[in-house]
Amino acid sequence: MSTTKGEVTVLDPIGLHARPAGQIVKLVKESGLEVRMGKPGAELVKANSPLRMMAMKAKTGEVLSVEVDSDDEAVATALISQIQDFLKG
Amino acid sequence: MVSNGAILAGMGVGLEAVAAEVFRVKPATALPQAAKHDGDLAAQSDQLKKAIADVAVEMNQLAEKAGETSAEIFEALVMLLEDEELFETAVAEIESGWNAGTAFINAVETYAEIFAGDAAFEERLNDIRDLAKRVAASIAGISLGLELPKEGRFVIVGEDFSPADTAQFTDAVVGVITIQGGPTSHTAIICRSKSIPAVVSCSQASQLVDGMQVLVDPVGDRVVVGGQESDITKPISFVAKSNDPIIPVRANIGSLEDAVAASASAAEGVGLFRTELLYLSASTKPSRQAQAKSYAEILSAAPAGPIVVRTIDAGSDKPVPFLDMGHEENPALGVRGYRLIAQHRDFILDQLASLELARQESGREVWVMAPMIATAVEAIEFAKLAREAGEFRVGVMVETPSLVYEIPQLAGELDFISVGTNDLSQYLFASDRMNPALGAMLNPWQPALIRALQQIAENCSTAEIYSGVCGESASDPAFAVVLAGMGFHSVSSSRSQVGAVRTALSSLSVLEAQRVFEAALTGKNADEAKSAALKVLAEISAN
Repeated sequence: MSTTKGEVTVLDPIGLHARPAGQIVKLVKESGLEVRMGKPGAELVKANSPLRMMAMKAKTGEVLSVEVDSDDEAVATALISQIQDFLKG
Repeated sequence: MVSNGAILAGMGVGLEAVAAEVFRVKPATALPQAAKHDGDLAAQSDQLKKAIADVAVEMNQLAEKAGETSAEIFEALVMLLEDEELFETAVAEIESGWNAGTAFINAVETYAEIFAGDAAFEERLNDIRDLAKRVAASIAGISLGLELPKEGRFVIVGEDFSPADTAQFTDAVVGVITIQGGPTSHTAIICRSKSIPAVVSCSQASQLVDGMQVLVDPVGDRVVVGGQESDITKPISFVAKSNDPIIPVRANIGSLEDAVAASASAAEGVGLFRTELLYLSASTKPSRQAQAKSYAEILSAAPAGPIVVRTIDAGSDKPVPFLDMGHEENPALGVRGYRLIAQHRDFILDQLASLELARQESGREVWVMAPMIATAVEAIEFAKLAREAGEFRVGVMVETPSLVYEIPQLAGELDFISVGTNDLSQYLFASDRMNPALGAMLNPWQPALIRALQQIAENCSTAEIYSGVCGESASDPAFAVVLAGMGFHSVSSSRSQVGAVRTALSSLSVLEAQRVFEAALTGKNADEAKSAALKVLAEISAN
């Protein structure tokens, strides 16, 4: 299985808080894919727990790396852009 | 133990009285102490899994009862409750010996440490802690829900009721008494909207016990132990003696829907158009065109007469998503209302420019005012901005005690002022509007508030500035008479009260209103001030 890598920016004025974290986890679970997110340079974590996502304490303006394990690159790219949408606040 | 006939003073909500049996809401049972389990790891984690599922069902039910606006809150809570990582952390706690309930509470606390000191998360953390308690309670077989009778007729008595509590009110709840909470508490708001007679901020209600008969008498601001129908305080029935009230009665609005409803009332224009509602749900700043379009729709729909528009009144407790408001220790005393000018000047200028476009399009008479002004310098600065932006009559809210003393400096600078009595009370009495224990301080009949209002009316008259009142107090017909008696030029009421206030102000002359005001001044406390005013009002209406 190949991995698609991308970046998203937290634009929500409150940062990566409960609502976007919940939306992302819901999306990831529905997709059935393994998605990892994290701050650049730090170890990425599985995006299947809202609390773990919130524990990254990503603030407004921060860039996060996203990795999606999927052989369908189009699906993976669409998923990343959907995550970006959730981070717009 | 209180005996029959005892009168417990509080603050009434609603106009109807009700007599029924007391039902004391029990304080929640304490959770069991942290404890270890007997070694069956699988049984403990199964028990935890089941409890989490049960609480999730409970929360979903509450979400349904609470309705659309709160449903999103409950949905987010359920996602956190069912968080896989949280569950794994709890399982690790079970493996180290803690029983299921303790393990879940401990797991939540590990996140508490991670989130500590982060304002945006701390509030959510309290919610998760509450969930952890519910899970632990479910495991221990303790009910945290309100156990209210489903049949019969009861007056429920408790400290105060949270949104989760009021969502559980049954049809058997015919009256409500709270020991804490003020007229703007959640309990009061819900009781008003459901037409349940209530008396809030009734400290002596702690003496009431199950089985007593009580009369909830909101008009009398009291509870009568053993009271009968004959004890009910009759609201003064004002009879309009002229077509026009002695001062105009305007309506408070916050949306297009409100504007439409207000135009069906007897309101003469709008005395307070709260603009922040248009922004609180927007994630990005709406363009000038979009703002102008919303404003033009609302201005066109508003009842005939001038429309007083308040520029944005947001703060860190009422944040607008696209204005970065950060966290403050004391939001009520922080950067809010006009103080946003320092960081968000463009936004306020945009708002004024949009209003001018809407004013031109609708052809309406628009007055603009800024909230949270503390000095004459700020008021004059706002007046300059507003006059440069458009053809408005320009004013400010008077809600900080400091501005009361600055009104003489505003002669010739402002066209009008409008008093926000809710915030003025909060700042005058140093009593947080959100603190249920301080409700009695926010009673508009407090002698110090009446005297502050008197001074505002007098200062405005000397400075030749038009003065109005748009706070909650102007929705009380009797208090509106007092305001007219002081010399205010108009009042603005919540739209459901416009008719009642208008009738009250059409039932007497200016001189009679002055007599009512002078009577209110004789009270040494809020109750005395109110009863003195009501007594004179009753005499006038009997003539």
